[in-house]
Amino acid sequence: MRLLPRLFLRHAFIFAWLLAFAAASSEGQATAQFPPDWTNALGSLADKIAAVTKRGEGLSLEAKNISSLSAADVDSLRQLLLTDLSRRNRRVVTESSADAALQVTFSESADGYVWIAQILGGDQENVVMVSVAAPNQKASTTEAPLTLHRKLIWEQDMKILDFGILGEGMAGGSSMLIVLGSDKLSFYGSQDKSWKLARTVDLAHGGTAQRDLRGRLDLKAGKAELPGAECGGDFQHPETVTCSSITTTADRETPRQPIGIQARSVEDYAVLAGACGDDSLMLASGAGDWTVPDFIQGYDGRNLSAATQQIQVPGPVLELLRNDDGKSARVVSRNLKTGVYEASIVSVSCDD
Amino acid sequence: MKLRLCLCLATISVVLAGAAPLQPARRPHYGGTLRVEIGPTVQSLDPAVVAAGREEADAKAELDALLYQQRSEDGTFVGTAGSGPFRVASWELGRRATFAANQDYREGRPFVDSIEIQMGRPAHDRVVDLELNKTDFAQIPAEQARQATDRGVRISTSQPNELLALVFLGSRSGKESPRMREAIGRCIDRAAIVNFILQKEGEAARGLLPQWSSGTAFLFPSETDVRTAKEIWSQISPSPKLVLGYDSADTLEQSVAERIVVNAKEAGISLVSRAIPASGEASLGQVQGETRGVTHVDARLVRLRMPSPLPRIALTAFIHRLEPIAGTVESPVPQSASPEDVYYCERSIMNSGLVVPIVWMPQVYGLSARVRDWKQPAAGESWPLADVWLDSTDSR
Repeated sequence: MRLLPRLFLRHAFIFAWLLAFAAASSEGQATAQFPPDWTNALGSLADKIAAVTKRGEGLSLEAKNISSLSAADVDSLRQLLLTDLSRRNRRVVTESSADAALQVTFSESADGYVWIAQILGGDQENVVMVSVAAPNQKASTTEAPLTLHRKLIWEQDMKILDFGILGEGMAGGSSMLIVLGSDKLSFYGSQDKSWKLARTVDLAHGGTAQRDLRGRLDLKAGKAELPGAECGGDFQHPETVTCSSITTTADRETPRQPIGIQARSVEDYAVLAGACGDDSLMLASGAGDWTVPDFIQGYDGRNLSAATQQIQVPGPVLELLRNDDGKSARVVSRNLKTGVYEASIVSVSCDD
Repeated sequence: MKLRLCLCLATISVVLAGAAPLQPARRPHYGGTLRVEIGPTVQSLDPAVVAAGREEADAKAELDALLYQQRSEDGTFVGTAGSGPFRVASWELGRRATFAANQDYREGRPFVDSIEIQMGRPAHDRVVDLELNKTDFAQIPAEQARQATDRGVRISTSQPNELLALVFLGSRSGKESPRMREAIGRCIDRAAIVNFILQKEGEAARGLLPQWSSGTAFLFPSETDVRTAKEIWSQISPSPKLVLGYDSADTLEQSVAERIVVNAKEAGISLVSRAIPASGEASLGQVQGETRGVTHVDARLVRLRMPSPLPRIALTAFIHRLEPIAGTVESPVPQSASPEDVYYCERSIMNSGLVVPIVWMPQVYGLSARVRDWKQPAAGESWPLADVWLDSTDSR
C-alpha cells in the first residue's frame, strides 16, 4: 500500500520532466532557426501587446502573412509569440471565449519586416508594431552528379576588379588575400579564420575614369595591372609592393572571344580541368544583363551540354576567371540587394 | 592535361562556328546615340530657373541630373553644368537637345556617345515612335502602359510610387467640414479608377505611403461606402455645393476628377469638377483662372511623387508639400524612422480628412530592344542613362 503513492509520485515526476523537456525542446526548435533579433523583436511585440491588454485576459489570435516570409516561418513565429504571450500572463483562447481579438500581421516595408498586432476589444482598437531587418538572400546550391560550390571570400562596397589568395593550404604558412579595387590594392592576412588588413597601396592611375574598368592580378609574377596603373612586388610581403601611374589608358586585356552555349553568346567563362578525372568543365554565367540576379553553371567541355545544376548568384557575375590551380574559378559579382561587390571561389566536386 | 584543354577549346570553336545566330553579348560596350523623347518642352536647363508646370519640372530635373554631378540636400542641383555624366552639345529651345558623353566624368564616361532629346512629344506619339523604333527611351503615362505592351513596346514599370490624392484646401473651415470630407472620402470608388482609368496599372491608395514602402498601408481602409457617405451627407445642413479642381494640362487628373464627381452624385453629394491652371500651388481656395480671373475650388487633385523608398523620408516630404495646399501649419513629422512613429504620423493626417489618397501609380518607361542594362530607377532616383549601353549602334 505504501508503494502506491511513491510510484505515483515517481511517475508524476517523470511525466512532468518529460513535459518540461518537450516544451523546452519545441521552443528551442522554434527559436533555433531564427536570428536573435527576430526573437527579440517578437518578445518586444509581446511586451507591447501586454501593455495594452490586461493580465490574464483571453485573446483570440489570428496570424496573417503579407510578407515574403515562408508559411513555415510564420507558423514558427506564431508558436513563438504564443509562448511569449503566455510568459506575460496573456492567454490565447478560442474566438468565442476571448475578451479581445488579436490579429498579428507579418508585413514588409522598404526597410525590412514589420510585424503588426491589432488588438480589438470592445470599441477600442490598439495597433502596435515592431520592425525587423530582413536577411540578405543567400546563394543556394543544388544537387547534381557534379556539384558546384560557391564560397564567399570577401565583400566590399568598392568595386572589385580581381582578387586572389596566396599561400592557401600551405603547411605552417599564413595565407594572404589580395584584392584589386578600382583605386587601391589591398592585402589581407589570415588571422583567426578571418582576413585582417595588412596594407593598402593607392593606385594613382592617370587618364580618364572608365565605367567598366577591368584589371588583373598575376599572383605568380607579383603584378597587378589595370588601365593607367600597374603594381609590382612580392605579394607575400606587401611592404615591398609599389604602384605607379602609367600612360596607357586603354584596357590592355585582349578581348575574349565569345562562345556559343545553348544559343546564347557567352563572354564570361572559365575552363577548368576535369574534377572527376575525365573531361574538362566549362563554367559560364547567365545571359541576363547587369541588373538582374545571375547564375553559374558547368558545361561539358566536349559538347557544351549542361553538366551541373546552376548555382544562383544574388547579382550579376562581373568576372569569372580560372584560378591558377585549374580546378576552381574566382568570381566577382555584385549583390543587387546589398549593393556590395563579392569575391568568391567556385569549385566543383563529384558526388560519388 | 594541356592537350585536353586544347581539344576542349577546339571543340568550343567548332560549336561557335556552326552556331545559329546568337543572342546579344552581355558585356557593355561604348558608342552610339541614345534617342530620347519627352512630353513637355523644357524652357531652360538652368536649375535656378523655375519650370512652368509639374511636367516640365519633372523632365527638367531628369535632364539636369544628367548634366550636374551634385545635388544639395533639398534636391536642387549645384555646381557647373557638364560636371555630370553628360554635357550640352546643342540646344534648340523647346525643341531638341543633344548631350555628349563627358569623357572626364568622375564615375567613368557613359557608355553612349550622346543622347538626342526630342521635346514636346505627346504621349501617343511617344508610344508610336517606340513601336516604330524611332526612339530608344520615353516615359509613358501609366494609363497607356497596357496599350503600349499590347502593341509590342518593351516596357519597364516601377513600383507604384506616385500618389494621386484629393486635398481639401484650407479656405473652407467650419463645424461641418470634417463630415463633408469624410463623406467624399467614403464615396470614391478607387477600384474603378484603377481598373478603368489607369487600365489596372496602379493600385487603390489606402494611406499616404504605399504598402511596399511602409508595410502598414493595409491598416487603412480603402473600400467604397456609398451608404455611409449618403447618410453623413444627409445630416449636413444646408447641403453645400463643392468644387473639385484639377490641373488643366493633366488628362489623367481630369478623368479621375470626373469619375469622383460621378461617385459623389451617387451618394447625393453636390460636387463639380473644374480645370485650374497648371502653374503654382492653389492655396486658400483661390486659383487664378485662365479666362475668368478667379476660380474658387474647395479641393483639388494633387500628384505626390515619392522622393525616397524609405517611409519616413517620403512622408516628411509629402507633409511639407501638402502644408501650403491644405493650409496646415507645422504639421508633425515622424520623430524617428520606426514604423510605429511613421504610422501614427500618417494616421493623424488621415484622421484630419484633409487628404484623401486615391491611387498609387508607377513610373512607366518604354525602351527600344537595343537598350541594355536599363535599371528601373527607385523612388527619388534619376534616369540612369549613363549606365545604359546600346546593343547595336545602328538605330535602324
